[in-house]
Amino acid sequence: MPVSLEVRGLSKRFGGIVVADAIDLELRAGRIVGLIGPNGAGKTSFFNLVSGVVRPDSGTVALEGRDLTGMKAHRRARLGLGRTWQSLRLFPSLSVLYNLLIGARHYPGERLATLILEHGRVHRAEKAGRQRALEVLQRTGLDGFAHREVGSVPFGQQKLIGVARALMNEPRCLLLDEPMAGVEGQAYRTIQSLVRTLAAEGISVCVVEHNVAFIRDLCDEGVFMFAGRVLARGTVESLIADRRLTELYFGT
Amino acid sequence: MEYLYTIAILMALNVILASSFNFVIGYGGLISIAHPVFYAIGAYGSALLARDGGVPVLLAIPAGALIALAASVLVALPSVRISGDYLLIGSIGVQLGILEAIKNVGWTGGAGGLTNIPALLRPGTDHGVYVALVVALAVLSVLLLHWITRSGYGRAMSAMRDDELAFAALGRNAVAMKVAIFALGCGLAGLAGGLYAHYFRFLAPAQFDILQSAALLTMVVVGGMRSTFGPILGAIVLEVLPQAITFLDLPAGLLGPMQGILFTGLVLVFMFIRPQGLIAAGSVWRGRALEEGHAGQS
Ligand SMILES: Nc1ncnc2c1ncn2[C@@H]1O[C@H](COP(=O)(O)OP(=O)(O)O)[C@@H](O)[C@H]1O
Ligand SMILES: [Mg+2]
Repeated sequence: MPVSLEVRGLSKRFGGIVVADAIDLELRAGRIVGLIGPNGAGKTSFFNLVSGVVRPDSGTVALEGRDLTGMKAHRRARLGLGRTWQSLRLFPSLSVLYNLLIGARHYPGERLATLILEHGRVHRAEKAGRQRALEVLQRTGLDGFAHREVGSVPFGQQKLIGVARALMNEPRCLLLDEPMAGVEGQAYRTIQSLVRTLAAEGISVCVVEHNVAFIRDLCDEGVFMFAGRVLARGTVESLIADRRLTELYFGT
Repeated sequence: MEYLYTIAILMALNVILASSFNFVIGYGGLISIAHPVFYAIGAYGSALLARDGGVPVLLAIPAGALIALAASVLVALPSVRISGDYLLIGSIGVQLGILEAIKNVGWTGGAGGLTNIPALLRPGTDHGVYVALVVALAVLSVLLLHWITRSGYGRAMSAMRDDELAFAALGRNAVAMKVAIFALGCGLAGLAGGLYAHYFRFLAPAQFDILQSAALLTMVVVGGMRSTFGPILGAIVLEVLPQAITFLDLPAGLLGPMQGILFTGLVLVFMFIRPQGLIAAGSVWRGRALEEGHAGQS
């Protein structure tokens, strides 16, 4: 499988805290990698650095051979880097459908001059975006919620909205930050099968999760992080079996 | 009649100023106090182009608006890139600095004011024509802003205010959007400036000072931030109330302080009793009926 995301020597410190210490990591198209580690290991920070939300001190990031280093977050997203947030970060002032539309890949209406001068083009893009959003909602089992305010939707479905929103941009690489925390039942199964399907479509996926069963069932590979460093990489089984890692994980 | 015309024109100009200020601070979430100075740039720009540059007034007014727009881009670009808070600091500097400059250079007429500004209308034309023109432009400005805020652009503005990081991570350019919002808002303030200059034909720097920011903020807050009609109502109320005070026959020395107390008092009262203003905007973004109808088909 070709390399999708390639991270080299990614480092970042906040004052005295090292959140990323020369991280090297490759994600391959169609593969699901589980990122494991105790709280504070730097997993979310790693996503922030890769998605361009936080500037690294050093290191490079490339997506499908294209250098993203130094690029703003919105440009990385347009080049196919999708992510979700541990704390959801949905748009409370928008309905579910409109939350998705913010992520639409082509949206000429976000330029004021285009909106005013080329209204026809904007109108067509709006219709296409809406069509795509409805498809994604269907795919994620959210079609019944399209016109609800996001705050009124059950928590598990809110998590799904976060994933659905990221799919609007047709990502080539998807970073999922604790998609299962607090999720059970139907939403759990939907997220699980959705991630599988996305990988089967050739998207590279990296998922941070504390739910061991979820990681073991889903991931082709696991990466163990601690104190901003990648300590081990291998099958999820082998990481779980490593006494040294479980001790770090549970902080004994 | 002349007096009523004057009030009508000031009201319509305040509607443009308050609506565009609402666009910047309410919809854009951009904290700026420099709105009066872009009003001034439009007024002085247009007046000087027409008076000293020989530009026809009808062209000078839009040119003044464009100068205000360009100036606002120069202010917004560097500050918005760093963070939203820098725009406030930048706007304070621009508001105080440019006004100080206008007071102190010769070609603006200095502190004494700019006189002999050419009128738009030929002498003898009924001033009602000018009232109609200014009111029409105020209506158009309000409609334009309303249309934008109810379009996909308005939806994106709402999302950007909700969560800028999530917005950026979905591929949306918040910096470009903020600069565009600021530019349009300040450009409209510049348009109001040109319209003022060629009717009253005299400009004094004091009209554009920081007290004007307070007045505009009062109009927006009292009327209802992020609503279309709120700032219109605010502009009308705040034009009528001070006029009404002048009828109270107070000693001249008390008039100014009374108006100041009125503005501050109103903002405070509304902050506590009705923070959403007279016309409350919903907390959920609503699109055009057409778009909502579309959505309804799913
Ligand atoms: N913006 C920031 N400023 C200072 N410290 C931060 C910042 N972001 C994260 N950290 C610190 O970095 C460490 C790693 O945090 P995080 O990446 O959220 O870990 P994880 O997701 O693995 O639980 C923590 O100690 C956290 O407090
Ligand atoms: Mg985390």
